[in-house]
Amino acid sequence: MKPYTAHARAAALSALAYRGNFLLSLGGAAVQLIALLAVWKVLLADGQVGGFDWPHMRAYLVVAFASATLVGTFVDFRMSHRIRSGLVALDLVKPVDYQRARFAETAGGVWIEAVAVIVVVAITVAIGGALDTPPGPMLGLFAASIVLIVPLKFAVSYLSTLACFWTENFVGVLWARQALTGLLSGALVPLAFFPGWLATTAQWSPFAGLTSTPALIFIGQASGTHAVLLVATQLGWVLVMWYGARLLFRRGLRRLTVNGG
Amino acid sequence: MRTIRLYVRLLGAHLRSLLEYESDFWIMMVGTVIMQVVNVVFLAAIFAKVPHINGWSFWAVVAMFALVAIAEGVGSLFFEGMWNLAWQINQGDLDYMMVRPYPIVLQVSSMQIGVNGISNIVTGGLMLGFAIAHLGIDWTVGRIAGGVIVLLSAIAVKVAINLATNSVSFWMQSPSPLFAFAVHQVGDLARFPLSIYPLALKAALGFALPFAFVSFFPVTFVLDTGDAWVGLLTPVVAAYCLAVAWFIFSRGLRRYESAGN
Amino acid sequence: MALVEARQLTKVFRRPDKDPGMRGAVKHLFVRRFVDKTAVDHVDLSIDAGEAVAYVGPNGAGKSTTVKLLSGILQPTSGEVRIDGLSPQKDRIAVSHRIGVLFGQRTQLWWDLPVSESLAVLRDVYGIDHGTYRRRMARFEEVLELGEVLPVLGRKLSLGQRMRADLAAALLHAPPVVYLDEPTIGLDLAVKDRVRQFFRTVRDEGTTVMLTSHDLGDIEGFCRRLVIIDEGRIIFDGDLEAVKDAFARERILNVQTETVVPLEAARAALPGAAIEAGETPLHLGVRFDRFTMTAGHVVSALAPLANLVDFNVDEPSIEDVIRRVYSGELVLQP
Repeated sequence: MKPYTAHARAAALSALAYRGNFLLSLGGAAVQLIALLAVWKVLLADGQVGGFDWPHMRAYLVVAFASATLVGTFVDFRMSHRIRSGLVALDLVKPVDYQRARFAETAGGVWIEAVAVIVVVAITVAIGGALDTPPGPMLGLFAASIVLIVPLKFAVSYLSTLACFWTENFVGVLWARQALTGLLSGALVPLAFFPGWLATTAQWSPFAGLTSTPALIFIGQASGTHAVLLVATQLGWVLVMWYGARLLFRRGLRRLTVNGG
Repeated sequence: MRTIRLYVRLLGAHLRSLLEYESDFWIMMVGTVIMQVVNVVFLAAIFAKVPHINGWSFWAVVAMFALVAIAEGVGSLFFEGMWNLAWQINQGDLDYMMVRPYPIVLQVSSMQIGVNGISNIVTGGLMLGFAIAHLGIDWTVGRIAGGVIVLLSAIAVKVAINLATNSVSFWMQSPSPLFAFAVHQVGDLARFPLSIYPLALKAALGFALPFAFVSFFPVTFVLDTGDAWVGLLTPVVAAYCLAVAWFIFSRGLRRYESAGN
Repeated sequence: MALVEARQLTKVFRRPDKDPGMRGAVKHLFVRRFVDKTAVDHVDLSIDAGEAVAYVGPNGAGKSTTVKLLSGILQPTSGEVRIDGLSPQKDRIAVSHRIGVLFGQRTQLWWDLPVSESLAVLRDVYGIDHGTYRRRMARFEEVLELGEVLPVLGRKLSLGQRMRADLAAALLHAPPVVYLDEPTIGLDLAVKDRVRQFFRTVRDEGTTVMLTSHDLGDIEGFCRRLVIIDEGRIIFDGDLEAVKDAFARERILNVQTETVVPLEAARAALPGAAIEAGETPLHLGVRFDRFTMTAGHVVSALAPLANLVDFNVDEPSIEDVIRRVYSGELVLQP
């Protein structure tokens, strides 16, 4: 365990060194928050649409912003760079598990994002008023669901950076992934707005756990067993992707040796 | 004329080397297309539940998204090098450009091609085409001519803002254009009708960083709705933005201190 | 009027005076302090058409800054530059046709293009017609052996290949004035020789050359005029051969012998040279004046005394001379 806490601590300290990039990705998420708040405020000015009224939608969007910001900055480029530059070969001779070490780094950098989320949420509350919080047990479930975002989002990012074993160009992969997760996680628009088949597919996909699940639990649209089931789905995907990534990593490594580095 | 021919020549020189990395090319293309498709799905999901946003129909908003996509596409296809200005200043790479008989700003902007520009222009063009077909515009000769001029001016506004913000790098020491990226992100707000935003944002997007002239005002002009006459100002705004960008660039160039001191 | 003319040319760089670390950076946001550094200090220089000038000085003396001012890359703080009567800062395009610049530390080739394509792009930028281009390329091929380099991508060039290609790029438009800033830095001897040969053909065609270098070999037999700059000021401007005759005439021949040669015996064999003991009794150092004695003479005088195992000659570099100038040991009169 000790080498992993060391990785996490190092990442926690170096988070400040990447503050420029971090502020940028934070800015991107904030711009999206502003745009979506403005759009929905107009749309919901005279009532409900698709089962959402304005206070609910506002809370939904704020949670969506939080989940977009967590585990946002430090993972993708650092990990894809390791593979493209061949640094990954150095990591392999270290007596630590590669995937776990990367996860420890990711978790270590989360604090700065959490701080930023708290600040932005505080500003939103100051401007637009308090958010309704769910009743006690559901609040606990919401917290669990937010915490699960960290391994879940790590797994999605990690899997996509493994594409670098097969392609030099990561930017295109990143864009495609960001666009798809934006849509299927419910970050752009709640999944309930999609046609039935798409909504169902998205809901049980790994992406829903990134935004939709915590946001729906927070505003009370998912409660009771339904909410428990959604959180269980998050957990299930974390496990599936964690072990799936191991498989893919091994195949990628083989390719690396075939190509001669 | 020679200036333009030479510009095409400088850009074209990079095209061949780009096509050598064929898989990169396709990944970037697919990445951008997915991004635009997600945008349309997102809009369609919203408009499936409501007929209008603040009086703007689905196709009108699609047209605004399309204009942003086209302007960004032209920016990356023809002027991608601007995004490298910060790096070139930091490394002293402008030295040789300053002793060649060709405008420095054009040497800078032609240093790179962003192939993703092609897919942005194509998908943006398709979106615009469908939008125009569905909007039932009463096409007169004047409106066609005005539409073309406004479209070209809108693109010029976006390119000029790119140049101006990247030229700020002359005053910064950072090797990456953080300020320009941040402003670029703010530009994403211009995809939505300006009228949905609070006054401060309206002022910002209409005057300070006139992104509204990339999409919103040109569309109002062609649709002849709202304050359509403001759309006619687009060429004036474009000229103003280009002048400001040129001013910032040339002032910055005088501060250029090369590297290695 | 001279072809290259600098009058009272001065460049002051302003550097933020920051304490190290984050705290210093934040503090600087509120209390802005700067330090001025005068890199070039009231320099007067005039170079006539066809001259080859060596421009030397220690690191940070202002050599590169002068070259950048003379080519219009930097804006002078005060003073002015005229190239063929034109200001490179104001008539940039016109001047760019008249000058060629090579920075040895930096390439102007496109990293993602083959050299042939980079040169073709430059041909079009300078508006050189195809016939002239072919003729010049044939000459580069002849002197620089450029052919093998042409198909190589910019980022894959070795240093020697890169320098040859960059020389071609700098001289493609046959500029009447050429600035060469450290043009042989890091090159191996064979490439250095070829490059120096090329400089001579360029000079012999009447091109005006200003060359900055740390390597005396670049300057020797190439430049007639020497300009020394130190701390931004020109401290010498005059004939190179005269300086060398006066101050760089001394050579040291280091010999290793099979058996010990007594110092007295060596001194007797070589009157007119100073003999010094080496690191072991088998090593000797012979200091002699290159105008009164040759290395061959020294070797043949020592040969009867013992079998020579090894020998080499230390030449004082122009750096040595210049260092002695800085330390006040030498005062050069132009």
